[in-house]
Amino acid sequence: METTMTRRPFWRSRWWMPGFSLALGAIVFAAFAIGGNAGEGVAGFAIMALLGLVFLLGGRSETLRGLGGPGRDERWAMIDLRATAFGGMVALTAVIVAWLVEVANGREGTTFALIGALGGVSYTAAVAWQRLRS
Amino acid sequence: MRNEIRELRTVRGLSQGELAAAMEVSRQTINSIETGRYTPSLPLAIALARYFETTVEETFHGDDDD
Repeated sequence: METTMTRRPFWRSRWWMPGFSLALGAIVFAAFAIGGNAGEGVAGFAIMALLGLVFLLGGRSETLRGLGGPGRDERWAMIDLRATAFGGMVALTAVIVAWLVEVANGREGTTFALIGALGGVSYTAAVAWQRLRS
Repeated sequence: MRNEIRELRTVRGLSQGELAAAMEVSRQTINSIETGRYTPSLPLAIALARYFETTVEETFHGDDDD
C-alpha cells in the first residue's frame, strides 16, 4: 500500500525547477535572438535564472519548497491540482474574452480562437480519459 | 473532519515535525490535519492510525459523529 508521500521522481528533486527555469530561459533567449533582439533575450534569461535561484534557495518557505518540488506531499498535490485548475480557467476565460474583443473590433481573432479551441478540446479529452480511468 | 491526531501526538511527546517525518509528509500537512483544514487521504489516515496503534474510526470522526 502506498501511504503518504509521493515517491520522488526526478521532476520532484530540488534541482528540477531551477534546471527547468534555466532551460526555459535559454529557450526564451534563443527565441529573442532568432527574432533579432538578443538584448531582450538576455533580460529574459536573467529573469528565468533568478527565478531558478529563488527555487533553489527557497529555504523554509513551504510555498517555494512545494513549487520547487521537494516539499510536495499529498496535500500539496491537492493544492497544486486546484491551483492548476484555477489558473487554467483564468487563462481560458482571458482567451475567450480576447477573442470576443477581436471579433467585436472587426478582426478575425484566429490565434485566440485556436487557443480557446485547444483548451476546450483538451479539457473534454481529459474528462473522457479520467472517466475511463476511474 | 475532526480527529484525535493532536491528542495522540502530544500524549506521546511528539512534535509536529517528528510525526511529519514519520509519515513522510510536511509539518504543515500535519498541522492542517490537526486543525481540520485538510482531510488526509485514506492511505495516510490508515498510516496515522497504525502509527498510533489505534483505528481510523477511533482517530477520525465525521462531522455528524458524537
